[in-house]
Amino acid sequence: MANIKIALAGNPNCGKTTLFNDLTGSDQYVGNWPGVTVEKKDGRLKGAHDVVIQDLPGIYSLSPYSLEEVVARNYLVNEKPDAILNIVDGSNLERNLYLTTQLLELGLPMVVAVNMMDVVKRNGDKIDATRLSKSLGCPVVEISALKGEGTREAAELALAEAKKGVKGERPHVFTGSVEHALAHIEESLHGKVENATSRWAAIKVFERDKKAIETLGVPADIISHVEDHITDCEKEMDDDAESIITTQRYNYIQGIVGTVLTRSSRRASTSLSDKIDKFVTHRILALPIFILSLCVMWWLAVAEKGPGTILTDWANDGFLGDGWHLPFTTHACKVDGKYKDMEFEDAQGEFAKQDASKSKWEETYKESYNAKNGEGSYDKALEAFNEKAKAEFKPEKEGDEFEASEFEVLDEALAKTVVAKDVFVEDEETGEPVAKECDCEKCSKKREAGEECDGCGCGCGEPDKWDVDYAAYQKAKEWEEPDPSQFGVWVPGIGALLGDGLDKLGVGETVKSLVVDGAWGGVATVLGFVPVITIVFLFLAFLEDCGYMARVAFIMDRIFRKFGLSGKSFIPMIVGKGCGVPAVMAARTIESERDRRMTIILSTFIPCGAKTVIIAMFAAIFFREMWYVAPLMDVIGIAIIVLGGIALKKSRFFAGEAAPFVMELPAYHMPTFGGIFHHTWNRVKGYMLKAGVIIFPACVFLWFIMHFDWHFNLLADEAIEQSMLHDMGSWIAWFFAPLGFGSWQGAAASVSAEIAKEQATATLGLVAANMDGASTAAQISNLFASFGDFPKLAAMSFMLFNLFVPPCMVAIATTFREMGAAKWGWFAIAFQLFVGYALALSVYQIGVLIAGGGFGVWTAVAILVDLWVLWTIFRPARKANGELKLENGK
Amino acid sequence: MNVASVIVVGVLLALVGLAVWRNIRKGAPCACGSCGACKGDCHCQGGESTSRER
Repeated sequence: MANIKIALAGNPNCGKTTLFNDLTGSDQYVGNWPGVTVEKKDGRLKGAHDVVIQDLPGIYSLSPYSLEEVVARNYLVNEKPDAILNIVDGSNLERNLYLTTQLLELGLPMVVAVNMMDVVKRNGDKIDATRLSKSLGCPVVEISALKGEGTREAAELALAEAKKGVKGERPHVFTGSVEHALAHIEESLHGKVENATSRWAAIKVFERDKKAIETLGVPADIISHVEDHITDCEKEMDDDAESIITTQRYNYIQGIVGTVLTRSSRRASTSLSDKIDKFVTHRILALPIFILSLCVMWWLAVAEKGPGTILTDWANDGFLGDGWHLPFTTHACKVDGKYKDMEFEDAQGEFAKQDASKSKWEETYKESYNAKNGEGSYDKALEAFNEKAKAEFKPEKEGDEFEASEFEVLDEALAKTVVAKDVFVEDEETGEPVAKECDCEKCSKKREAGEECDGCGCGCGEPDKWDVDYAAYQKAKEWEEPDPSQFGVWVPGIGALLGDGLDKLGVGETVKSLVVDGAWGGVATVLGFVPVITIVFLFLAFLEDCGYMARVAFIMDRIFRKFGLSGKSFIPMIVGKGCGVPAVMAARTIESERDRRMTIILSTFIPCGAKTVIIAMFAAIFFREMWYVAPLMDVIGIAIIVLGGIALKKSRFFAGEAAPFVMELPAYHMPTFGGIFHHTWNRVKGYMLKAGVIIFPACVFLWFIMHFDWHFNLLADEAIEQSMLHDMGSWIAWFFAPLGFGSWQGAAASVSAEIAKEQATATLGLVAANMDGASTAAQISNLFASFGDFPKLAAMSFMLFNLFVPPCMVAIATTFREMGAAKWGWFAIAFQLFVGYALALSVYQIGVLIAGGGFGVWTAVAILVDLWVLWTIFRPARKANGELKLENGK
Repeated sequence: MNVASVIVVGVLLALVGLAVWRNIRKGAPCACGSCGACKGDCHCQGGESTSRER
């Protein structure tokens, strides 16, 4: 006996898959993401192996606007199951019955199963199934798929209807004039389509559904013949045919629901979700609320005194670096000596002053010596001194080796005359002299409150500078770097432990540099930002789980529609906040090929998790007091998406109207701690894993090519310009020169970002290691200072370039695959490269002009590029490529 | 290079090899966390964790 096929059809999240599992015993994944079962899945009914249950994709209607709908519709029309089991969510009857009215028109035996009756009863509502059955003209049964109640009965009813093979008396959904037009169309279609589907076919012709007409093979002459009836109806109803059908369906459904559904009196007329949505989806307030939420997220993550920055500083300098003092313990030195009773920070400050005095005096002495004895005379004299000392060296114990001196006072008389002027301690971030501290009451109070001193007339706030003579130099030499372990409970960091461990093993300096500076340094730079990305992911998880992110897609639909996309295109961009790879893949749900391509091109402009690290690093080093720079990157990303979309839509490749967008707004609910933790942990774990399997080998490779020349000779730190990395970076540095970071270091960091975007931060840490600075941050700051007179502009330009050019290799590969054709993949890359480069160029060149840096060739180029971009955005829109003709197969 | 250095370099290169082999076998991880099924060890680019087929 041939198999009996029963199709399960219903809205997303109505419980179809739960019912499917219950009826067939299959172990299907049940989740809340729409489109989880895009493909058809079938199983055998338990106890009746000749009955096949087909689980169709969750759909809101049988319209042609999504792949899921087309797949379900084609199955129902072409493969004609023996019966349809339509699952309806009893707690959302009105919305679910829309699909029911369409399914009834297919002319197939059907049973309606009203699911989630447990929720209906809990809400205190009542559904009159008998009345509903009479209204719809088919059997109706109440079930709770989750509890397994009524499911068997539903299946048996469907089976009985399938065996009967007769459809019930279908209701008349539409008004007189529409029914009149439909009757004419049905008459015209007689003999051209199957009788069972003639009603449905007539409605599709009335709606001018091109895909359905093509599937049914309706001849063009019939379309032309009935066009007058349709047009007359449109004139009479003053609406387009598709809207007429939709409106009348909903009117019919409202009529039914009014008679079959009795709502509980205790339910509020407006739910809490609706009340919140009044503000969150407000025409004017919606976008500012969204931007405000981003600002809150970024403030928490990167603001100078925010939790993200505090934890990241601790992670970078303490836990992963040299170490840290346990909080809530005394940090005063207990050991006799110069630092006795001093707090550690004060001791560090004092040592910095003494060290600056020593270094500056020695530098001044060398200059004086060379001035007296000839250029280069000091180095020669020092070399001779060291040679003599080496010849006279006698080791005191076994293993002692001679160490050459880096500085000696070779002319005592000269030394007594040397005075180093205006010595200062350099601020790590600004490079400027640290300001003087005043002990007056007013300034002390300001310092305690963490405020900057604005001067009280006593000289505070001014740069702290002093002169150093020979006597002061000799005293400065007596100060040694404070040992943090003498200042309270000191916990050594992983970097320090690694270095000490390697020393104890007797590993050579080169290998130690490879491990500590290369491998660990790079990984630690990336891992140091775990607190920042944890906060970002935590915030995003909260917004997603509570239901707000669904509203964002709805909000953006209004904006996107203005340039021919729908809010559905923003959903991949929300996904892109985590990673660009699934963002590109999420564009698969967009039915229009043209809009899908555009979404793929634009979705990676939203800074992903990896790019968040770049933002966090630059915010911390260059824009610490400007916390708004971080959320500005997200705003720029959205602006690029909107403006880029407008520009693309005006080109002949992407012109066209946006598809309608229907989406379910889930009710708001307080996310569970476990849910948020789970989502956040998944992402953070992925980030840390990436640091281990991508950043780590990349850093080892970069260290290698930075410390070896082309003949694989190991280079000293001073000879880094002979390294492979230096050469490779120099070959392409010209490309970045107009952007303000045209050096081998900037080039190397930018190119390495294609491995993984956060690699740029690790590479910067590596290539800046030879710069002056007590920390990686200071070294990177000094690196950008070496690029030119406008280091902050160069830093902004670097950040913009790396955020908005093509994403990492994996995302690029995914882009090519999803585009299908290589030419579109290359177009996407070219577009993204142009946008990133043009943005960085404009910001740097025009910024330099405003800052008084002068007008150059590249300034003119930047202005011209900007004007051209403005033209592409504001030029008149182009029409779509002709009208589609209603010819079979075309 | 002394023995300790050789051992340390050997261990480092072994770890690098392990990382590269893992990437080749499983694909590069991403931090999307969006599908959840991969639990942070994502194969998104392979399409296995998502059922969105064209």
